[in-house]
Amino acid sequence: MDLPSQLLAQPDALLLDLTATSREGAISALHAQLAKSPAVKDAPLLLHGLLERAMLAPVCVAPDVALPHARSDAVARVVMGVARVTPPGVGFDGEHPAVRLIFMVATPKQQVEEYLLAVAAITRLLKTDGVRAGLLNARTAAEFTALLGRGAAT
Amino acid sequence: MSPTATATTTELLERLQRLLRWRLWFREKLQLTEWQITLLWAALAGFTGALASMIFSALAEGVHEFMTNSTSGVVESMRHLPWWGCLLVPTLGGAAAGLVLLYGSRLTRSQSSTDYMEAIVIGNGRVPVRASLVKSTAALFSIGSGGSIGREGPMVQLSAVAASLLGRWRQFTGPQLRLLVACGASAGIASAYNAPIAGSFFVAEIILGSIAMESLGPLAVSAVVATLTIRVLTAAQVMYRVPAFQLNSPWEMGPYVILGLLAGGLAPLFLRSLKQSEEFFISLRLPLVARLALGGLLVGVIAINVPQVCGNGYTVVVDILNGRLVWTVLLGIFACKWLATMSSFGSGAPGGVFTPSLFMGASAGYLFGTGVHALWPASGVDPGAFALVGMGAFLSAASRAPVMAVIMLFEMTLSYDIILPLMLCNVIAYYTAKGLAGESLYSASLRRKAAAEPAAAFAATRVSDLMRLDPPTIPPAARFAEIAERFLSVRVNNLYVRDDEGRFLGAVSLHDIKPYLGQLDLAELVIARDILREDFPKIGPDQSLSEALGAFLGLTAERLPVVAPDTGRLLGSLSKSDLLLALVEKRRPVVAGA
Repeated sequence: MDLPSQLLAQPDALLLDLTATSREGAISALHAQLAKSPAVKDAPLLLHGLLERAMLAPVCVAPDVALPHARSDAVARVVMGVARVTPPGVGFDGEHPAVRLIFMVATPKQQVEEYLLAVAAITRLLKTDGVRAGLLNARTAAEFTALLGRGAAT
Repeated sequence: MSPTATATTTELLERLQRLLRWRLWFREKLQLTEWQITLLWAALAGFTGALASMIFSALAEGVHEFMTNSTSGVVESMRHLPWWGCLLVPTLGGAAAGLVLLYGSRLTRSQSSTDYMEAIVIGNGRVPVRASLVKSTAALFSIGSGGSIGREGPMVQLSAVAASLLGRWRQFTGPQLRLLVACGASAGIASAYNAPIAGSFFVAEIILGSIAMESLGPLAVSAVVATLTIRVLTAAQVMYRVPAFQLNSPWEMGPYVILGLLAGGLAPLFLRSLKQSEEFFISLRLPLVARLALGGLLVGVIAINVPQVCGNGYTVVVDILNGRLVWTVLLGIFACKWLATMSSFGSGAPGGVFTPSLFMGASAGYLFGTGVHALWPASGVDPGAFALVGMGAFLSAASRAPVMAVIMLFEMTLSYDIILPLMLCNVIAYYTAKGLAGESLYSASLRRKAAAEPAAAFAATRVSDLMRLDPPTIPPAARFAEIAERFLSVRVNNLYVRDDEGRFLGAVSLHDIKPYLGQLDLAELVIARDILREDFPKIGPDQSLSEALGAFLGLTAERLPVVAPDTGRLLGSLSKSDLLLALVEKRRPVVAGA
């Protein structure tokens, strides 16, 4: 299994009913979950990297999908966390006021290729017919991850 | 953003990415490295050099026709002139050359060096245009009026000027410009003698002092293109058509060894006589015009009875090689030609002494061969073969370039029969001359110049000496689409990322983003900071060239960022080709061929 498929099939963190009122709040909540992964060596440093990047330039790939990401020495390998925000969603910036799906990706500093692989795989996944709607409507974590895995495999 | 605007942006991005994909495809399939581009410029320098040589040659013939009212060769024209004409034409030619130099000096006051060799060896590759044109125009008169001087010097100079102009127009760096001027010189020699290999080796062996492929490759390309241009545009053929020679017995090599010793002793003597003649003319303290006119007059005096002394000696060499001259007559011509060349060269007549050197070698060889034949008639040796070998040996001793001399003789005659005695004789002549006198035909003036202007002697020792300013950069927040666009507009594989303060943050590699050019979603999401490589190797401006070479080892990048170690500011970039050229240059002595 290649790296993107592996990441999508088994995300390091999953939050299905995240409630947040701000971009920073949403990122912090998902980060807190992701920080439980042994691959995260320095949680504060990772959070700092994610927030800094989100402030530098938009991280949304669709009106309701955000992809906060960072290349950081805080992680030992590529890690990914996924969150579904409860309606009506959370505002990330002026053009994305109601984000419902958050894919958080962090890669070690040296791994530029892996970073692009992961980000490209996620954006491709979201273009697959029915995946986005399926993720928004999935009732259980198993159903959610099964959709992620199926999407990655197509 | 409105749907129409979004559609337009998407369309633009798609077009941009399609363009970039095509460009990458082309680059991968027909990838031109910096070296290949250098070869293309070398080819262009060869073409322009050949044109410059042809124009000079045509003008010299025009001046000759005007002054002698004859379309024949120099020797033939002088033969048909009355005695006063023999005196008048070279004298007037010398005076005209002097006037051109005198009035031309007003135009060239700010230009110090006029020699292409100086520009390559101790200069920055900038051959002054006006000074070269003035000197070449003066040479038209000294050559066209029958001065005992060669035309190859101005031809090579003009060819080098054309190359220097090309390089300056393209803003080449120092090492690149010097290499391109060397290519121009190579093209000039190749055009003058219809000898591309010798043209390349002349510059490599005598001027650059190196036959490293970094420099020899472009020199060869330039010489080949120049020769092809000459062959297509003119009826250029083998320069000297010679009868077939045969080595009947290994014992014949004995006399050739003696010829090598003889040529090796004679060449330094010839060079010293030219130098002494120059000093003599200067000691006369005559005005420039009068000095050159006097030089011409002396040639004219000799030419009344021996018209063969006029010109570069080409037609006489053809006669010698084909056995059309009696040795007693040749002995007289040899002595007179020596004196005539001393007069022309010593008075300061612009031109070259390369071809006159060939004459000296051919005459000496033929006379020696005649002696051998007289003493050892059973051997059946042909004096013509000794003339041919003598040419090469004399050239080898005078120029201190034995490899070039062997190749040139072979190319000019296309006679393989004499290769064994030629090689042996050239090497013996070279070592003999080297043992007798320290300097070659070309090294003396270069050494003087280098000593007079030590600051002019360029030797890159640090990275900052070779650094190119203003490398292509992007800000850390540049979007994927902007990065792609920048890669389209500049020919680099890595874009340097620098912040608002000018600090170097890393590099974005084209290799990294290539697989994702078709993904429009990334265009909005990914920025330079996401994909820059912070560990991209960099180098400091004060680091040595060896350290820079070490930094390039194991790296596919053609350039390295030059970063100030204290502030982290990006100062410029260092090109691998510039570095390798500079290292090749560093290996040579200040004056090669000495």
